Amino acid sequence: MSGAEAERAMPPELGPIPGDGSPYDLADPTATRYLTPDIARIHLGSLESLHVTVLNEGIYGGVHAVYLFPVGFPGRYISLRHTDSKGEDVEVGILRDLAEWPPGARELVQNALKRHYFVHVITRINRIRWRYGFLFFDVETDKGPARFYMLWRHDRAVDYGRRGKILLDVDENRHLIPDVNALPPRERNEFLRYIYW
Amino acid sequence: MKPQTVWLCTDTDLNLAGRYEQVWLVVSDEALTIVALPPESEQSVIRFHVARRDCGEIRTRRGVGGGFLQATIDGVFVDLLAYSNAKADLFHKVQAKLQPWLRGEPVEVGPSDDVDPRRCPRCGMTLQFKGDVCRRCVNRGAVLLRILRLMRPYTGKATVMMALVLVGIGLALVPQQLTRLLVDRVLAPGQAHNPVLSPAAARLWLLGLVGALLGTHLFSAAAQVGRGRLASFVGSQVTYDMRERVFHRLLQLSIDYYDRYNVGQLISRVAGDTEQMKQFVQQLTGGVLQQIIMIVAVGAVLFGMNWQLALWTLVPVPLVILGATFFWQRVYPRYYRVWDANSKLSGVLNTILSGVRVVKAFGQEPREQRRFGRSSGYVRDSFRTVEYTVAAFNPAIGLVFQLGGLIVWFMGGQWVLGGQVTLGELLAFLGYLWMFYQPLGQLTQLTSWLTGFLTAAQRTFEILDTPVQIAEAEHPVAIPEMKGQIVFENVTFGYDRHQPVLKNVSFAIQAGERIGIVGKSGSGKTTIVNLICRFYDVDEGRILIDGVDAREIAKEDLHRQIGVVLQDPFLFRGTIYDNLTYGLRETVPEDVIAAAKAANCHDFIMQHPLGYDTYVGERGAGLSAGERQRISIARAVLYDPRVLILDEATSSVDTESEKLIQDALKRITAGRTTIAIAHRLSTLKNSDRILVVEAGRITEQGTHEQLIAARGTYYKLVKIQTELSRDESVDALEVELKHVRR
Repeated sequence: MSGAEAERAMPPELGPIPGDGSPYDLADPTATRYLTPDIARIHLGSLESLHVTVLNEGIYGGVHAVYLFPVGFPGRYISLRHTDSKGEDVEVGILRDLAEWPPGARELVQNALKRHYFVHVITRINRIRWRYGFLFFDVETDKGPARFYMLWRHDRAVDYGRRGKILLDVDENRHLIPDVNALPPRERNEFLRYIYW
Repeated sequence: MKPQTVWLCTDTDLNLAGRYEQVWLVVSDEALTIVALPPESEQSVIRFHVARRDCGEIRTRRGVGGGFLQATIDGVFVDLLAYSNAKADLFHKVQAKLQPWLRGEPVEVGPSDDVDPRRCPRCGMTLQFKGDVCRRCVNRGAVLLRILRLMRPYTGKATVMMALVLVGIGLALVPQQLTRLLVDRVLAPGQAHNPVLSPAAARLWLLGLVGALLGTHLFSAAAQVGRGRLASFVGSQVTYDMRERVFHRLLQLSIDYYDRYNVGQLISRVAGDTEQMKQFVQQLTGGVLQQIIMIVAVGAVLFGMNWQLALWTLVPVPLVILGATFFWQRVYPRYYRVWDANSKLSGVLNTILSGVRVVKAFGQEPREQRRFGRSSGYVRDSFRTVEYTVAAFNPAIGLVFQLGGLIVWFMGGQWVLGGQVTLGELLAFLGYLWMFYQPLGQLTQLTSWLTGFLTAAQRTFEILDTPVQIAEAEHPVAIPEMKGQIVFENVTFGYDRHQPVLKNVSFAIQAGERIGIVGKSGSGKTTIVNLICRFYDVDEGRILIDGVDAREIAKEDLHRQIGVVLQDPFLFRGTIYDNLTYGLRETVPEDVIAAAKAANCHDFIMQHPLGYDTYVGERGAGLSAGERQRISIARAVLYDPRVLILDEATSSVDTESEKLIQDALKRITAGRTTIAIAHRLSTLKNSDRILVVEAGRITEQGTHEQLIAARGTYYKLVKIQTELSRDESVDALEVELKHVRR
């Protein structure tokens, strides 16, 4: 039985709410709740969608996961969100550190993050060509070899932390170079020749 | 099994795990099925199947770099399929097509649905937006040709300038021939096998030749003066024209362009980059072109004098060309970085100095000093990198030229000693040699200035080539007298095309109606106003003003008859009078005074010693927020717009100012369509109708009393404000609330 299946099979146990016991109001944008394994269970619900059960509160279905600090704290501070009955996107709670959670829950959240963030991580630059005001990239990515083109414009290559760049191609697909300085010299020079900002 | 009609069938590029896979959506009469074609398998796999009756709602949800088509099943939104952003537009359309299907109605799909309006129909390249010109298919001239085209209006002056360049070069060739005559005929005639002149004749020859040299230099200097002045005239004029074009384009560009770009960077482009055009023209005429002609002319003379010796002078040339090519490849990108560094420094400086009050209030001077230091260091380092390369390259090339000179001295010296060449010829040859090498050496600088220039030109043309998204209609409809009826028909719009802010919004405002708009921050209130003003165009649906699509109305008519008062009014540096009459072609002081009185600003203006001629600083510095706001209201009154939009017009002023502004507004809104956005609900209670916006949709509308009685969102907002504030105006609302409760 995989970790995810184990989590799904395990019914959430209800117990007392830690702290002052006051109920958490999802509609209150000023309230912050950190979810921990003591007060919540992360599991799959009907039709394989991600669910979160909060003790003494209820089950939230159709949950998705979003990083609060995707660059500054990857793997930490993850917001679990769902759509309420009014159709608004509300936060069920924040996971401070994914490492605090059991392997099954961790895997489910990681899968949800992978699903939410569709980003190609560039591992190698084979060639960059400039034509018609576009940059044509031939690269290797974590998803395999890729060719894409982007407008040669400042807002199409944005900073990712202090050293990285995210390239937005003409379809607004994202291609990430986590650290430009870590590229081999030839690739780095080729890249900086065009993306110099 | 009952046969089913397949209404819609389309594929996506991702599976739900975020990996590339061909996945199909098949929608039939009664069910929706997701079928995958895994790359490792030849058989299709049904990943999901749901009956229509089990689906509550269908929507798209945006992820990062892609999105999801979702349906509510058992009250929970479930991901049906995932797509990358390449397919985002397609699935927004699919989601809209599936709405009738949910109600059991047929799905209407036609051939036009298969056409992607963001692809060029000729080459298939993705366009920036629907209707954009394809960059690949458009016939584009090279940067240099575009600059030359800019010089077309000055063809006459440019021709004279070029003639003077040729005259200058011709005159520059004369002194060496005169020198040769001087040596071979007067100073050392025996060495050249010429008859020895008598002392008197020699003096006469000497005087004549020196006089000829003087005359040549005088004419040459005069030609240079003329050429320099003409180059300056043409260069500065082309720069002026380019600056005007760039600024004109900046004014044409829609607001979303300014959402994307830092103002400091744009300032750098308009001020700095266009100035490079002048240098280009001056270099082209006074530098490069002159040098090229000089090389050709001197080369012809050298080969005419002695082709064997001339061949030796060419020895260093391949090295120069190789060096220049290397220089081009190394220096080219570094000039970009210099530009970028300067532009970022301008941006940082602009931000820090604009917000200096905040910096001081938070005591963040050291932090900003560090931030500035980082940007300044980037400028220093990028300049250093370029200049280090230049500093190494120029002496190296100089050394190569020296080598060529030494070769000519050695070979020519041998031939003079052997009597094959006269001394005068060798000296003239050496004179010409430096005239040949000097421009050749300067031409290696061509890469340096050309790259600097091309960098600037590329940045400038980037602005000129940016398409105007909010363009005037081909056949604009004139509405000289707007009535002020506004209709939103199924309007969907987002600043980011994959994230709608307004979702299928429909409402109508009658001419002369006073409308209040309330809602939480980010709900879409200001977006409604932005669309009415046509700062942006709708993504779907349409906005009708007096029954005409806003996109079809002549922009001048639209903007002249819609007045806007913003939360943070912008006043320009100038007098109060200039600010009040901003944009008005004709106005008389009587009208200005009447408008100022109506907006309750006449009295405070008169407190200033210079009255209406009081000079206000940048952004209205020297006036309070309430005073600036009242001036902006008076400005709107002077415009006499048929539609008046008040976007949080009183939210940043104190209670007393608010009362003065409200009094003014009461007077000026009479008879006009008025749309007011306000967080202070007390300011809207006299509206004919109030629209409540929530998450991009109009959820309630009615009068204040009707909405209070409905006990909905508006009621809650009023209740919250009543509880939070003891403000007199809100207390008044509470009284009304109690009245309704009874």
